[in-house]
Amino acid sequence: MNTKKISDGIWYLLLAGALVLPFIPGGIENTFHGHVLTMVFLYASMAQAWNIISGYCGQTSFGHAVFFGIGAYGAAMAVVQFNSLPWYGAPVGALVAALVSIPISAPCFRLKGHYFAIATFAIVEIFNRLFMIWDWVGGAIGLDYPILEDGWRNFSWSSDKTGYYLGALFLFALVFGVVRWIDSHRMGYYLRAVREGQETAESLGVNSSLVKLSAMALSAGLAGLCGAFFAQYNYRVDPPMVMSLDMSMKFVLITILGGLGTFWGPLLGAAVLIPLQEYTRAYLAHLGSGVDLIIFGLIIIYTMIRQPTGIMGLIRGLAPRGRDASNDGGDR
Amino acid sequence: MAILTVRNLTKSFGALVANNDISFDVESGTIVGLIGPNGAGKTTLFNCVAGLYRPTSGRITFEDRDITNLPSWRIARMGVARTFQVVRPLKEMTVLENILVGAYMRTGNPAEAMASAKRCMEMSSLSHYMDRRAGGLTIGNKKRLEVARALATGPKLILLDEAAAGLTTTETREMVELILRMKSEGVTILMVEHIMEAIMPIADKLVVLNGGEKIIEDVPGVVVEDPEVIRAYFGEKYSRRLRKGAKEGNDDGRDA
Ligand SMILES: Nc1ncnc2c1ncn2[C@@H]1O[C@H](COP(=O)(O)OP(=O)(O)OP(=O)(O)O)[C@@H](O)[C@H]1O
Ligand SMILES: [Mg+2]
Repeated sequence: MNTKKISDGIWYLLLAGALVLPFIPGGIENTFHGHVLTMVFLYASMAQAWNIISGYCGQTSFGHAVFFGIGAYGAAMAVVQFNSLPWYGAPVGALVAALVSIPISAPCFRLKGHYFAIATFAIVEIFNRLFMIWDWVGGAIGLDYPILEDGWRNFSWSSDKTGYYLGALFLFALVFGVVRWIDSHRMGYYLRAVREGQETAESLGVNSSLVKLSAMALSAGLAGLCGAFFAQYNYRVDPPMVMSLDMSMKFVLITILGGLGTFWGPLLGAAVLIPLQEYTRAYLAHLGSGVDLIIFGLIIIYTMIRQPTGIMGLIRGLAPRGRDASNDGGDR
Repeated sequence: MAILTVRNLTKSFGALVANNDISFDVESGTIVGLIGPNGAGKTTLFNCVAGLYRPTSGRITFEDRDITNLPSWRIARMGVARTFQVVRPLKEMTVLENILVGAYMRTGNPAEAMASAKRCMEMSSLSHYMDRRAGGLTIGNKKRLEVARALATGPKLILLDEAAAGLTTTETREMVELILRMKSEGVTILMVEHIMEAIMPIADKLVVLNGGEKIIEDVPGVVVEDPEVIRAYFGEKYSRRLRKGAKEGNDDGRDA
């Protein structure tokens, strides 16, 4: 298991490196790079959450903005409406996201193939409209955070943003840690078995409905946590900001670029697309909004044509002829 | 004691009756062969037993429990494993990973699952291909993978649907050895097989289907003498050769 050792090594080195970075003078404090790195960790986490159900389990969801949004509203509601702490709002939001995902996806899972993906599209629109007219959660105006004291208690920082960076890093460690665990345990094998052939998996004792629903709930719950972070970071939330197809597409595109159904894919995709997004926004803002999405789109089209397995596929292709290269005369 | 009983099983697809009122038993610890011409309804019967199809009528019990309308994953967990005639590798997973999926049915512990998967992989002579992508295997290895994966679930009864079809003579002999080894480890076997040289010498009993109906159920020696079976399936010339083979107890497959 050589590749596993390499992957382990990279994982721990990365975490250690990212953790000491803020303590190096000029590392990230109040720099634009600090902001970009924070966003990379956030979007990588979000893409990884999506990857659980859509990459590993093969059920392509375009509805994850809903779960992301519910988590964002969870944190924001706690702070804005209840004068409480995001520490209570975030887990409640994540839990609600997980619970909501079950009745939503159960009927969708009965749909075959692309119809599942299409059904999830509609769900984003439904929730977007619902939150737009729902006064209790601020309607179309959304929720604006009051001025809060900086620090971990409020999970908010206005001057030194190192706290956000570390928060995003912990989120990243949590989501990726969960997927690492899954990957090497029964759940990971069952997810992929369902993706590769549901009837075959069932013939091997896999309760595929349960596997899909639990993967969806876990994926939605983690997406909710990411959303909570997003609300804290932006100090506000409104429906188009979180519950939009744009947002859903980002999670999808990041993962596809990095490598669908792979552990490192979401991070690699985010590491390429997010800096691109942030720097084009900063330096090409005069061209109007949406430039980042145009560039996203072009990169994805190029990837789909030249390297459908994403950056991970590229890396595997560079590795010495091993398991993926070997072919024993059968189909590809 | 019968581990599996099939009673009055009927399965129709619209107007087509693929299984018509079929009844038979599979005794624990034996090898039962299910034979018959193409389209006789053998795979359909397997699919009914394994829970992939819902029978139109009839009753199937496994270890005295009714499994007729249970979902396939439940039946698998009770101890009934099956292979697919048209192989279904989990393509993007490696050979070892495919077998691990089966092994995880009995344990959630990764080390235990790995140990059991490796054992099944060795028994099926697949160790050499352990890290290969299953979709890229040759048909022979895909056939072996079907068996290895089913075996990894630790079944009490295994349903083998033409596990030797498409294999070379040597590979067929290895498959027969594997089946005998499974039997010696206490696994009951119900197998569909067209290669008579593979099934005649090892089957304790044969069940013959034709046009969706059971035409006979008996020991191989009697089945090959049966005029109806000869007419429906073997043909005169072939059957004479088989009778000779059964008498001499030889399993030479070269004249297949
Ligand atoms: N899902 C299905 N829908 C409609 N008809 C089916 C279905 N499955 C099988 N049949 C039909 O049922 C009949 C029996 O098919 P089955 O596959 O069980 O035969 P078999 O004995 O396994 O044949 P072979 O030796 O060729 O594998 C055939 O006429 C087949 O076309
Ligand atoms: Mg068949």
